[in-house]
Amino acid sequence: MYAYDTYDHAMVNARVAEFRDQVDRRMTGELTEEEFRPLRLMNGLYLQLHAYMLRVAIPYGTLSANQMRKLAHVARKYDKGYGHFTTRQNIQYNWPKLSETPDILQELADVEMHAIQTSGNCIRNVTTDQFAGAVADEVADPRPYAELIRQWSSFHPEFSFLPRKFKIAITGAAEDRAAVKWHDIGLVLKQNEVGEVGFEVLAGGGMGRTPVIAKSMRDFLPISDMLSYLEAMLRVYNEQGRRDNKYKARIKILIDAMGIDEYRRQVDAEWEKIRHVPIDVPDEEVARIKAFFAPPPLPVLADAATEVDELANANFIFKAWLANNTGAHKVPGHVHVTISLKPHGGIPGDATDEQMDLVAELADAYSQSEIRVSHEQNLILPHVAKSDLPALWTKLDQAGLGTPNAGLLTDIIACPGLDYCALANTRSIPIAQTITERFDDIKRLMDIGPLKIKISGGINSCGHHHAGHIGILGVDRRGEENYQLLLGGSGAEDASKAAILGPGFNEVGIVDAVEKVVAVYLGEREGDESFLSAYRRLGPDVFKEAVYGTD
Amino acid sequence: MAKKITGPQLILANRLDDGRAVFLTSIGTWSNNAADAAVAQNEAELDTLMTVAQAADLANLVVSVTPVVADTSGGVTAPAHIKFAMQARGPSVRADLGYQVSPNWEQ
Repeated sequence: MYAYDTYDHAMVNARVAEFRDQVDRRMTGELTEEEFRPLRLMNGLYLQLHAYMLRVAIPYGTLSANQMRKLAHVARKYDKGYGHFTTRQNIQYNWPKLSETPDILQELADVEMHAIQTSGNCIRNVTTDQFAGAVADEVADPRPYAELIRQWSSFHPEFSFLPRKFKIAITGAAEDRAAVKWHDIGLVLKQNEVGEVGFEVLAGGGMGRTPVIAKSMRDFLPISDMLSYLEAMLRVYNEQGRRDNKYKARIKILIDAMGIDEYRRQVDAEWEKIRHVPIDVPDEEVARIKAFFAPPPLPVLADAATEVDELANANFIFKAWLANNTGAHKVPGHVHVTISLKPHGGIPGDATDEQMDLVAELADAYSQSEIRVSHEQNLILPHVAKSDLPALWTKLDQAGLGTPNAGLLTDIIACPGLDYCALANTRSIPIAQTITERFDDIKRLMDIGPLKIKISGGINSCGHHHAGHIGILGVDRRGEENYQLLLGGSGAEDASKAAILGPGFNEVGIVDAVEKVVAVYLGEREGDESFLSAYRRLGPDVFKEAVYGTD
Repeated sequence: MAKKITGPQLILANRLDDGRAVFLTSIGTWSNNAADAAVAQNEAELDTLMTVAQAADLANLVVSVTPVVADTSGGVTAPAHIKFAMQARGPSVRADLGYQVSPNWEQ
């Protein structure tokens, strides 16, 4: 993992001191709310329905056991004993007091964490594959490049007041687990024909009220040009992106208006001007950053583990968990483990302070003290020996963290919705809870197979409903909560936009509709065809007929 | 100039210090309990309440002062729209948190 140097420490500590002064001045009235609001947002502090909300950055979803312990401590001491892991691989606290947030930020700074660039019209926390560095299907570990982008973008004076927020995702694997095509900029590590490693660069993706899948900017960008090219892309956007209408201010709108070819031409022209000034870092610095992410010294172990087979034969839930929540590691005899934060009937992404402490303890014991957060709102132990799985799962299960549903229908993304969020139109968590209760049968879920349901309580699309195999969008219909059903989206390498199936439903009707859609799939699928493949083959009509009838 | 209102209204805000939702009462204080909220029946009454509320804003007691439609049909005053009703109760998915526990749940 990356470790702060003296510059990082000084920068983050200075920001905490600055914010402490700003909070003091707000509390005494020296700053008005109008003056203070942008300052608190620059430190991840929002005002929601019931309280302030503090969004803490977890850069590219990687954190240490000690950092997780600190997150648990903050939940216990300053909040209500829990936190919410988000689709941006961050964590949100729902009840902090304004006057205590400087103390929270200082505690976070002590473990090399902060809340910078988790809000505002700047380059936000860079996201990536939750299995980075652990899987065999990646060209290279994307995290060193994510860290370089973090350092380049942190407090970047030119890009602190962009037309709108800006999200960059990066993946090193062929299987896109980071939804890169749904980001303002997506970077895909690849090898060219002579074996050099570089990036395919995508631009102009995004969700919100105008869903757009990113388009290819360059098929291959050498790694050594990464930062100067990003700088050129941001410069053109910063100069030409709309500032008159916040709903038309994202880069996707600019690229749609000027066309990807013209945007590329302007970026290339800008790049020619700046690529020879020292924006890109020298090879030695890249190597220094890469060294922080060197693979842990895992021993090569036997692939078979008797104790695993014995428990799997005796306990079906463990067997299902092995099948769904563990995946092949690049070092034989190891796996990566997804800890589901989606207990049936529970709140997607929420973890208590005790659960966070337990995950930290288990990371120390079984996963090289390393933890990841996925954009699907789960936690990952990336480096676990197979022989440790029975002990690990038993402890997880006792703490309510052993749900064997990773990648299945009940592994639902849901935004906080109107239960917390001032921008939402409807609740989304209760819909997720009702669906998981309706499908509370692991054998049935495994028969249904991979199926991603994503729920947003508002048009901001924080719950990624556009990318859901089944997407649900809450809308305010004359003061009543109403839910639209969308089908056929994907956040993976085969990214697609989900389409609205028909009129919306109330909170009961939407769950019934999901059940009807799943029934159609089970009746129509061919062989082991997935839900998404079946939908793409069948088209919407057969689903529409089942959900709305033939009248 | 008063805005035209479509029904009885109450004033909702968030406390500056902890962000908790609070409701303006008829004696100019802020209550955790929507049932204590003063209800404006016409534009003039709403103007009066807003003057008091904005003074509290200027005095750094509250932020985000918002007049919202009140529902008094059950004999107990509450915000009518679900979004503001949620503020008066707390998260529906955490029955152990928020004013749904008690107006004084954190004391």
